[in-house]
Amino acid sequence: MAANYWESTQRKHWQFTKDQLATMRQKLEDEDPQLVHMFPLQQLRHLNIYFNQQINRLGKRLGVRQQAIATAQMYLKRFYTRVEIRRTNPYLVLATAVYLACKMEECPQHIRLVVSEARSLWPADFVGLDTSKLGECEFFLISEMNSQLIVHQPYRTLTMLQGEFALSPEEVALAWSVVNDTYMTDLPLLYPPHVIACTAVLLAVVLRPSGNNPAGGQGGTNTTNPQAGFAAAAAALSQARAAGNTTPLGTPLSSQGSSQPDGSQPERKAGAGAAAATPDARVGKVQRFAAWLGESGIDIEAMVDSTQELISFYECHEQYNDKLTREQINRYVKARGLDK
Amino acid sequence: MDKFPRTVSQLRREAPVNHNNFIYPADRGTGPIGYQSKVRVIDKYKVVGFISSGTYGRVYKALGRQGQTGEFAIKKFKPDKEGEQVTYTGISQSAVREMALCSELSHPNVIKLIEIILEDKCIFMVFEYAEHDLLQIIHHHTQQPRHPIPPSTIKSIMFQLLNGCQYLHTNWVLHRDLKPANIMVTSSGEVKIGDLGLARLFYKPLHALFSGDKVVVTIWYRAPELLLGSKHYTPAIDMWAIGCIFAELLSLRPIFKGEEAKMDNKKTVPFQRNQMQKIVDIMGLPTKERWPFLSSMPDYSQLSTLQPPLSGPSHGHHHHHHYQNQQRQQTGVGGSHLEKWYYNTINQATGSATSAGNGAPSLASLGQEGYKLLSGLLEYDPEKRLTAAQALQHPFFSTGPDRISANCFEGLKMEYPHRRVSQDDNDIRTGSLPGTKRSGLPDDSLVRPNKRVKDG
Repeated sequence: MAANYWESTQRKHWQFTKDQLATMRQKLEDEDPQLVHMFPLQQLRHLNIYFNQQINRLGKRLGVRQQAIATAQMYLKRFYTRVEIRRTNPYLVLATAVYLACKMEECPQHIRLVVSEARSLWPADFVGLDTSKLGECEFFLISEMNSQLIVHQPYRTLTMLQGEFALSPEEVALAWSVVNDTYMTDLPLLYPPHVIACTAVLLAVVLRPSGNNPAGGQGGTNTTNPQAGFAAAAAALSQARAAGNTTPLGTPLSSQGSSQPDGSQPERKAGAGAAAATPDARVGKVQRFAAWLGESGIDIEAMVDSTQELISFYECHEQYNDKLTREQINRYVKARGLDK
Repeated sequence: MDKFPRTVSQLRREAPVNHNNFIYPADRGTGPIGYQSKVRVIDKYKVVGFISSGTYGRVYKALGRQGQTGEFAIKKFKPDKEGEQVTYTGISQSAVREMALCSELSHPNVIKLIEIILEDKCIFMVFEYAEHDLLQIIHHHTQQPRHPIPPSTIKSIMFQLLNGCQYLHTNWVLHRDLKPANIMVTSSGEVKIGDLGLARLFYKPLHALFSGDKVVVTIWYRAPELLLGSKHYTPAIDMWAIGCIFAELLSLRPIFKGEEAKMDNKKTVPFQRNQMQKIVDIMGLPTKERWPFLSSMPDYSQLSTLQPPLSGPSHGHHHHHHYQNQQRQQTGVGGSHLEKWYYNTINQATGSATSAGNGAPSLASLGQEGYKLLSGLLEYDPEKRLTAAQALQHPFFSTGPDRISANCFEGLKMEYPHRRVSQDDNDIRTGSLPGTKRSGLPDDSLVRPNKRVKDG
């Protein structure tokens, strides 16, 4: 239910395995292979980076808070597990997602304002945008999401952990930006929000944010030595696993994450090195958090996987080509008359 | 009855499609074709009557056409603009809330949502059907001869109502509009909280919970902190309303039946003096001793303009020989007449019941625990007011002759009249939509409010 993730429609209907997600997406492409062939698109994570940027731009113009932005991003993610991207004008869908999320998150924006801001943001991509189009798309969005509009976000857990572990403002800001980054990955469709929050906090305390690394930037490329940091995170997670002693799956970290063979490789040795190099206080905090994770009964394997997904995402972010991504989207939107 | 829907669906299929920009038939929602629902209301449900209308739209009674068991209530939200050219204008925030909350909620004492169909610019929320509601049941008991609701029924209703409310509150949902018309009762005696049109989540609101919607909760059931201008919405507001409903189940009249002061031209919310006075007449003036934050209420200064209660409740009909025995309790703590009101009510009710000669069980069996529960719910200080969880633990439910039943009609020999459904408008597709306003009176209820005024 609303306050209970375990009884929520999010857990029941919008949490998938990787295989399920892959099958659903394949099915959408198979509906019309010709369409997919005719209009190639960048990999989904790159599209997500682009959508994320556009949602943030619109959100900023409207002065919308992060919570509503995050909800809009979830709507977009859910929607595109049901509908092939190439059948939609993503600018319309994301403007609608923002409009709907604002109502749901109790910061409603007038439909005309959303439309006018969207029009000035994307004048060429969306000639025919008006309130009626947006209102119609809202029906489409809600219908595809089965009216399941309440989204559980990691931010609440994050706030809770902030007090619990006396996180510094820098650590909180970094954890916050890691959470924001997860909306460009599949993580919100794979794992519960508290797993994502815990992963973000763990990364934040091992990544050692410093003054030169303003947190909250785009794409999370704001860490000086991510590899070492992730390794330290992995080390902490194996500590948590040992402490928890409840996880039946004793798979060693090095054999995890078949999708990212490199990601798991440096974990152990670098992990030890990173831990040795950090001041005692930080080690203490990491260990305390790891011990807490062990006792909390949280799904450590999910955290390990989330960490690896993030590593993989940050690598993939390096290859992101904004211009190409935008052009490919705009090409099919124009060719198919979806901007009318 | 089948004729018309078929015609409409035929019309729909023959409707001209704009072929100019036709590219892919599978494009939906964003392309030139437009959004099409996968499910059609009229294909799936057969409307058998019209139930009621309100600000949001209309409610119809329906049966399943595709083998669904049971009966259904379909709530149709009207599109914003009426007339020939209906366009999408964005769904109202309250409809969005209701859709989202009802999709999450699942509890035996909260009305169950079956599905939501978005079709033709309208929203159809399909609910399980409930044969009765508390307003209807109360009304039935006011019919001559006036006879009280049996105590076992009252206990069961209160327990189920509190149970549903506790579920809402533990899930951070505030109902905000609890009143007899919104409490449904099925023919098997299950109480179901309905109409979550004003409900919302109350954790971490981005705005003060009051700011979005200026006036909430039918005025008779509005908590004193709201009347005094509080901006903080809490579960205690629902609990006050439940206290008022309890009192109404006992006396068959709204306990605080004030007149609503309308909003002035400047759209400022006026102080509801008349309503507050009605509360003061029975509860006495609130004091800082009993309600420490009283003086920080925005409209605190208005309190001094109210009349302190007279020696007895202003309800004329209560001047009855029965309360002679209760004279000593006349003014309880802090000038409250609630205790007198309570004993007067349960004894008077017994009197008229016996005089009617139907031998109905006496409300007096509710005893002093009934009073304690009532005064715990109608507590001025929202912080001291009983929570739903506390109220469920109240001795009221564990003492007395009656076991609490999950069927509030258990042991009753009579049957309540069924919900009236009219046949005037069975066309769910095009039905004309009167623009009634949610004015604080139970305008969206089955029984017309002016009828109640007579017996009040």
